Amino acid sequence: MNKLNIQPIAEERIKIDITDIPQGIQINMTGDIDMEDPSILLDPFFEKIHSGMIAQGLAEVVADFKGLNFLNSSGIKAVAKWIMKLTDLDEKTKYIIKILHNKDITWQVTSLPTLTFLVPGGVKIE
Amino acid sequence: MAVTENLGRDGYIELKFGPRWKYIACVRGFIQNFLAISIVDQAKADKIAMAASELLENAVKYASHDETHIVIRVSPETERIVISVENTSSKESIAQLKDVYDKIIEGDPFQMYVAQMKEAAVRSDGKSHLGLARIRYETGGDLSLKISGNTVNLSIVIE
Repeated sequence: MNKLNIQPIAEERIKIDITDIPQGIQINMTGDIDMEDPSILLDPFFEKIHSGMIAQGLAEVVADFKGLNFLNSSGIKAVAKWIMKLTDLDEKTKYIIKILHNKDITWQVTSLPTLTFLVPGGVKIE
Repeated sequence: MAVTENLGRDGYIELKFGPRWKYIACVRGFIQNFLAISIVDQAKADKIAMAASELLENAVKYASHDETHIVIRVSPETERIVISVENTSSKESIAQLKDVYDKIIEGDPFQMYVAQMKEAAVRSDGKSHLGLARIRYETGGDLSLKISGNTVNLSIVIE
């Protein structure tokens, strides 16, 4: 189990694993997020990460999207909702989200960099 | 609104399916395969498959129980692509779609996409209203909406 005690997700078309890294945690997404309402799955998951990061005073979440073949706009909404939570944090509780993207997957090249504009300074992309 | 008129030398596929969510991934895969043999630009093919998928999600979410109809036309010389999705819907859903369309069709596509993301993040009605802004920004294509009675036709032209 990871330091936030969050269960991984293993659904039919999507798998999300969580591993510990020195400065925080890393989440690895593989598969497709194309269900009708991904918020059922993603909103509680991202909320647990957000509250765990604050409670433990961790500095960084690495969100590895490289294995995610498809993310529909409802899924983008769920990610945006998580990122927008960063706006409420003060200096003591703030953390950074570092997004890893796959340059061979077109939607990742076009859509993921736009997430860095939601909360300036809160999201980095590599 | 027949989208298969005046095709000239264009290649095209036309699909009709009952509005079931689980068919969308299957249709997206089929479109990707069709485009792989129709155009050489892989990034363009991916963007078109994404756009088709978003349009179909939109259609299935808001369709009445009649079939959803998608046509993809490819001009062989220019690799110009036209995607057209047509379905019937309720008066209320059509009005909502028109509101979203009218909002995102003006202005810079990137700025509009980011603005819609911020708005989507605070919506509590379970909707994202993000698909059309995403298509417009990511494909760089020209979106158009036609409404005739309870029939909705959303098209995008990608040069």
